[in-house]
Amino acid sequence: MSDYDAIVVGAGLGGLTAASQLQNKGFKTLLLDHCDQVGGCCGSMQIGDYKFDTGPSVVELLFVIDEVFTNIGRKREDYIEWIDIDPIYGFVDNAGKHFSYPTSIEGTREVIAKFSEEDARAWDRFADLGANALEKAFNIVMTQPMTTLSAAARVMVKNPAMMKYMAPYMLKSFQQVLTGFFKDDSVVSSMCLQSYFIGLPPCLAPGYIAFLAYSEHDGIVYPKGGMDMIPKGICKAFEEDGGKVQLNSTVSKILTEGKKVTGVELEDGTRISSSMVITNVNAKVVYEEMLGKDRIPGWAYKGVKSYEVSIPAPMIMLGVDKKPDLECHHTFCHSSIDNMNSIWFDNFKENKLLGDKNFMLICTPSLSDDSLAPKGHHTLNLVSFSPYEPVEGDWDKGLREKYLEDILDLMKRKFGLDLTSNLKVAEVIDPKRFERRFLHPRGAVYGLQQDLCHSAMFRPGMKSRIYDGLYLTGASTHLGGGVAPTIGSGIAATDLIMKDRG
Amino acid sequence: MKSAKKLFLLVAVAAMAAGWFTLNESTRRYIVHLAKQVPSLPYRYFV
Repeated sequence: MSDYDAIVVGAGLGGLTAASQLQNKGFKTLLLDHCDQVGGCCGSMQIGDYKFDTGPSVVELLFVIDEVFTNIGRKREDYIEWIDIDPIYGFVDNAGKHFSYPTSIEGTREVIAKFSEEDARAWDRFADLGANALEKAFNIVMTQPMTTLSAAARVMVKNPAMMKYMAPYMLKSFQQVLTGFFKDDSVVSSMCLQSYFIGLPPCLAPGYIAFLAYSEHDGIVYPKGGMDMIPKGICKAFEEDGGKVQLNSTVSKILTEGKKVTGVELEDGTRISSSMVITNVNAKVVYEEMLGKDRIPGWAYKGVKSYEVSIPAPMIMLGVDKKPDLECHHTFCHSSIDNMNSIWFDNFKENKLLGDKNFMLICTPSLSDDSLAPKGHHTLNLVSFSPYEPVEGDWDKGLREKYLEDILDLMKRKFGLDLTSNLKVAEVIDPKRFERRFLHPRGAVYGLQQDLCHSAMFRPGMKSRIYDGLYLTGASTHLGGGVAPTIGSGIAATDLIMKDRG
Repeated sequence: MKSAKKLFLLVAVAAMAAGWFTLNESTRRYIVHLAKQVPSLPYRYFV
């Protein structure tokens, strides 16, 4: 007799989604996490009176989150309250020039027309194609386990329009697709920035991802109270259904007998039995550390070793006692497309800090939600890029502090944003801290690369081909990183489990 | 027949090489990035 019907390792969004659905379907489920809070990357950090998000900063493709709550017989709005975000992005270029894209397609067209009338016409075509690609392709693959050739083929046969909107862009890069539509440098770079949301430069990200630049125009929101309200909302429903959450519990091993999973072993030696283990931990960590080289076949080990990780994105959290000179929830500090590509090849691959080449996303969630900071104060998250082990120094030996100073100085010199005056608190989550806190190898916050060769059936399978009873969810599985995709992976993994055990 | 095959191969290789040099640097990088990973795909498929 097992202790539990299912053990979920990792309370990130994928793990929480799987746990809540399994518990709701009658499986006695235990949810374990090594942190002191649920959410994984979608968590929070409290520094003094300021509350910061530690991962994603906005939510799109809301239907996926609604689907989880519907699947467990609930309404999302009873657990999470959305705040609409509009404009979706602000931009600051090297000359300190500000502009922003509103949610509305027409409004964005007007902004683009100020740069180029030709690009404004191209925007109409791009938005039309993006809307179709989203509806007929992305929304469908989001919650489907495309983990085998036959599974992928079944999805495509059922949805023939999907090929029309994905196939032509599979063998083109993100940059090729966008430059095929837009010509003005400012317009192209404002759209290309999004390739780094999957941790790849524009010239290496797959072309179909280019429609990300449209998807936000379908509407983006921020959860009232912070991004961690999403995992907390799902967790609340899980506990209401009788699920058990055990935090501060590090799983060191997945236990197996023959080709079957038998449970997990915690760091303190405690063993918990179950014939089903669902992990929300990065697949490289699962196979290389929790199972280990000796317990997986050579060919699978070779596959696991071959997965490459995305570029790390250090996050700087700042609490200030006055409103910064920013108007949008998200502000991109602009960079040219050549610069965006160059930082991958000349800095990340060469382990060199980006210096003046760095560009970043500034998130100011307190502009949308005043509950995150004391009255009149604000919170800012600066997401920039760097290698994991820079030749310039060690993150744990002084580099963290120097990085903070350098980035603040760069913001002032290059983008005309003085964030140092009125600074009350500052903290850096560098790649090493990311790795320790979220178990992302080499601090790659976007997880495994998300190019064509790391997608669908070439990404770690949601159902292990090695051990019966082992399932995977989260950013290292199909469809990849982001709030909606990771929740989608939890839905897809649960569907696979129900087919096997339902 | 054999020499016709050889000629066909030569023409195909020459056409591919000519095509390659007409591509811009960003496109070449994309293709090289994917091509480098092709040998790993059979292993990845079984993870």
